Amino acid sequence: MLEHILTPDLFASAIRMATPLALAAIGGTICERSGVVNIALEGMMLVGAFAGVAVALVTGHTWVGVAAAILAGMVFAALHGFASITLRADQVVSGTAINILALGLTGFLMEVIYGHPGTTDAAATLAPLFRMQGPTQGAAGGIWRWVSGIFLSHTPLVYATIAIAAVAQWAMFRTTWGLRLRALGEHPRAADTVGIDVVRGRYVAVLVSGALAGLAGANLSLEQVGSFTEGMTSGRGFIALAANIFGRWTPAGSYLASLLFGFADALQIKLQILRGIVNIPPQLFFMLPYILTVVVLAGVMGRAIAPAAIGKPYEKE
Amino acid sequence: MSATARPGTGRLAALLRDAAVPVASVVLAVLIGSAFILASGRDPVLAFSALFQGAFGGPRQIGETLMRSTPLILTGLAVAYGFRAGLFNIGAEGQLFLGGLAAAWLGIVMAGLPWWINVPALLLAAAVAGAAWAYVPGLLKARVGAHEVITTMMFSYIGRYLVSWLVTGPLKAPGQIPQTAALPPESTLPRFSDVFAFLPASRAHLGILVAVAAAVATWWLLERTPLGFEARAVGFNPLASETSGVSVERTTVSALCISGALAGLAGGVEVMGVYGRLFDQFSSGFGFTGIAVALLAKNNPLAVLVAALLFGALSAGAGTMQLEADVPQKLVLIVQALVIFFVAAEWIVRWAIRRRRKAEVSGA
Amino acid sequence: MPILELQDISKAFPGVLANDRIGLTLDPGEIVGLLGENGAGKSTLMNIVYGLLAPDSGRIRVDGRPVRIRSPRQAIGLGIGMVHQHFMLVEPLTVTENIVLGREPSRAGVIDFRAARSRVADLSRRYGLKVDPDARIRDLSVGMQQRVEILKALYQGARILILDEPTAVLTPQEVVELFRVIRSLVAEGLAVLFITHKLEEVLSAADRIVVMRDGRVVGETRPQETDEVGLARMMVGREVVLRVEKAPAHPAGPVLEVRGLGVADDRGLPAVRDVSFTVRGGEVVGVAGVDGNGQRELIEAVVGLRRPREGTIALSGRDITRMGAREAIAAGVSHVPEDRHRRGLVLEFDVAGNLILGDHRRPPFARRGVLQAAAIADNARRRIEEYDVRTPSARTPAGNLSGGNQQKVVLARELGRKPKLLVAAQPTRGLDVGAIEFVHRRILAARDAGTAVLLVSLELEEILALADRILVLFGGRVVSEVPAAEATAEGLGLLMTGGGAGRGRESGPGGTA
Repeated sequence: MLEHILTPDLFASAIRMATPLALAAIGGTICERSGVVNIALEGMMLVGAFAGVAVALVTGHTWVGVAAAILAGMVFAALHGFASITLRADQVVSGTAINILALGLTGFLMEVIYGHPGTTDAAATLAPLFRMQGPTQGAAGGIWRWVSGIFLSHTPLVYATIAIAAVAQWAMFRTTWGLRLRALGEHPRAADTVGIDVVRGRYVAVLVSGALAGLAGANLSLEQVGSFTEGMTSGRGFIALAANIFGRWTPAGSYLASLLFGFADALQIKLQILRGIVNIPPQLFFMLPYILTVVVLAGVMGRAIAPAAIGKPYEKE
Repeated sequence: MSATARPGTGRLAALLRDAAVPVASVVLAVLIGSAFILASGRDPVLAFSALFQGAFGGPRQIGETLMRSTPLILTGLAVAYGFRAGLFNIGAEGQLFLGGLAAAWLGIVMAGLPWWINVPALLLAAAVAGAAWAYVPGLLKARVGAHEVITTMMFSYIGRYLVSWLVTGPLKAPGQIPQTAALPPESTLPRFSDVFAFLPASRAHLGILVAVAAAVATWWLLERTPLGFEARAVGFNPLASETSGVSVERTTVSALCISGALAGLAGGVEVMGVYGRLFDQFSSGFGFTGIAVALLAKNNPLAVLVAALLFGALSAGAGTMQLEADVPQKLVLIVQALVIFFVAAEWIVRWAIRRRRKAEVSGA
Repeated sequence: MPILELQDISKAFPGVLANDRIGLTLDPGEIVGLLGENGAGKSTLMNIVYGLLAPDSGRIRVDGRPVRIRSPRQAIGLGIGMVHQHFMLVEPLTVTENIVLGREPSRAGVIDFRAARSRVADLSRRYGLKVDPDARIRDLSVGMQQRVEILKALYQGARILILDEPTAVLTPQEVVELFRVIRSLVAEGLAVLFITHKLEEVLSAADRIVVMRDGRVVGETRPQETDEVGLARMMVGREVVLRVEKAPAHPAGPVLEVRGLGVADDRGLPAVRDVSFTVRGGEVVGVAGVDGNGQRELIEAVVGLRRPREGTIALSGRDITRMGAREAIAAGVSHVPEDRHRRGLVLEFDVAGNLILGDHRRPPFARRGVLQAAAIADNARRRIEEYDVRTPSARTPAGNLSGGNQQKVVLARELGRKPKLLVAAQPTRGLDVGAIEFVHRRILAARDAGTAVLLVSLELEEILALADRILVLFGGRVVSEVPAAEATAEGLGLLMTGGGAGRGRESGPGGTA
């Protein structure tokens, strides 16, 4: 029975389910490294998912929808940034307000634009990037089935995410932008005194996180599902936060941690075939990713150290 | 260094000053909400007057408002108490579900016993269930510093799936609908109009008395007991509290459990007073609205009563607003979010200005 | 021509005039010491020069040209470098990363680490400031970190170097080293301005001394033309009693007995090693040492905020080693913590509330789980009067009080319990002369009433003034134990840095080394 579970598509599915988590988590990493807590990844993802589908339906072009999703995420991020950086509001509360706003706004617009709550019509999804044929027979066929199944069957954003993770990781530790970003989150006053613009740096970081979260939403609605359902993010934004913590506030770590959560998600779906044999209710499987998040946090928190200045509004003398 | 109001005089002035920001936030939120309504091609004046009608237009409507305010008082208290102790209980929704679950299940088990045993027992069970659901996040926060926002949120999802499973499986009443069996009368909180025949019919139920009592009790706990003293001390300054011998760990856990208990109570009251049973969607986000209530009330348990009433009215009138002005009920969520936004931003700005002034005076 | 000129600089904050028409000049190759008490306005002035604050009025000239300094970036561009009292270093980053931050050698945004490291090495060699370019700041000693700060300013091309209280965290030997570095910088044409409140320092190191008081420049002189007494008078405006009158001690039996204590720090490394000492009732034992030699961990172990790894702590014969803070307080240990804002008070609570913090579960303040408002108010009234706390009312939030009055509240609370042992850490940090006097008097009064006092302070002056016996803590060990009468500042200073084992006084055997 194990071979029914451990199939190539399990791992492919893991990578696929990890993608929105990873995008949001990397966004969270960048934002938090600059010293701004971003609880609102969930809301930014949701508006991204909605904007993506809405614009794709209107324009008929899925990629335009993706662009709209990024933009929508950035708009909400700008709100969060404004409240957190300029108004110096409590960043967790501001993030929560954004989440609720996203939920309310997308629901409101659903009814206003489509006339009914629930789910929108289907939009064309992004097609897989590669369409290669390979050997099907014998050992070569077996290897090809696994390799292509896991690595070559994905849609563009999935690959983009891996690239983003790599670039972000490199940039954070090897570029001037990255060095200054890290200084902002650890000791903003030190950065200020050498002439770095703390406010601008933080705004940029928040906007980037919004863009990535919006992109994550687009991946959900335009790559995975094909339509928008109210509340479809289902807590992924929060799991992304945990992934960031688990990944020690690095983009590469966030990606790998997301893979773990994605794997749990994929496994949960696969395990449902067990239901044919033993009568386990589906809800117990749905719970798994959330339980895993708590377990991960419990194990990791003691040793994971956040950027020192996180969550504290910066005040010039 | 700066003069503060002398005790006795200027209390009213201070109260008005304190209320200014929340009131302004609500006004602003309504204004921006109106902008959304306009942008969607509907009439905001019609919408808000329909809302008002739906909330206060007659005895039945007022009763509805009271009924909707009841769980909000309790979740507002839950979030407010947490905030006072420095904790953000964003997972009140999950604790609420567990509380409702406890009441729905135990209420059937205890069928046949007199109401003056059942009702208190069920309320207690709901509170305990909510507290239990908050215990693990509290412990994790105290021991390893795991952020309670993430953990309570996770438990919220877990709790909802748990209830969903029970309601479609083991606890399902016979029939098509996924819900538990109906509670016998001795396990419910009756409506005011059922108990006092002279009152006009409405859905307002005795649960609101429980909620008001809880508000008073919470206030008293915070202001008049050593436990509340410690919660407030830790909320303001955990280091100083620890230095003076207060156990920050124990305070964290107990505060989150008390918060969870209040949220659980909300679930129990809702099941016992409104529906008489538990089903999948019985909460329309009371846990999250509680956040807006708590912030609007500036985490003051007595002010929570007022703030909850406001949101209860919004909720009660939203249906009429949709019916008469064709404005989707989701607008209420938007207004809620905006209120949170403005309260958080304004309040901190004011405080930051005051704090900076203090620092400059004592520093230099 | 002066390299820096300040004319009529004024800056007001709500309620206080921090700078009142200040005039100051600085010539290249000159060392100027800016002397003044806490609150005299020195830091404000320097923050203005560095662009962190904008003056309300006045003119600044650099190299004769009028300038308006609106940000640190501008100040740096003008060649003004500043080493702050609290270092502006990013702990997890390396020395090199910190030095080049903001002006990283780069190609298209990618940092050229090799160029960065070589530039740091060049500077380090040229000015004799040895550092390890790849070390992380958090692993460096304070003296080393200060070097990095200076290198940072030099890297940015500073021709004017401002040092804010540079010796606050250094040992006497490190201070000597610092001023050697300053003199070599000045020999290359830099101008150095250092802020301090230490008289001996400014007399020995500066070419010129500018004295500030209450926001104004009240005098300018040269070391040859004045002395400590003269400077103190200018600083404070009146004849200053440099030491409080102290009656001889009459110590009774032992109250605190520490044997073989070993305590680890936050990272698990040993901070206190095999420490043994006794404090008797009616005596003040002062612990001298440079910050970071185990004082914090020692205090935390004694008051119950940190579990020791080994050894015992006994209070009047009772073992309190494993007790937490709450039990320690109940057993008779009172603690005046070193940072009254972070550890001593809940600033948002009112004075009455702060006065019962720690006792809030016990009668008379609480009975059967309910706070007794009358008892709390009564207690507040009495303590406010007893300790002369200046506050509009007992209901005023503690954050509204001045530093001195805040410390009085802490003292009132801790001494009000009539403890067996008082542990005081940096009790007069950041206080003005009047408040310092008050605190010292109270500590001595407690001593005379029979309390055992353990005083930990980074100010040698304070230890010498109050203690009956002095322990020197170095590297987590007690390296010397001397009666106060036989101790000298130089001797103690030497021991604080690990030198001169057995000395600290003129003659006689010393402690463990």
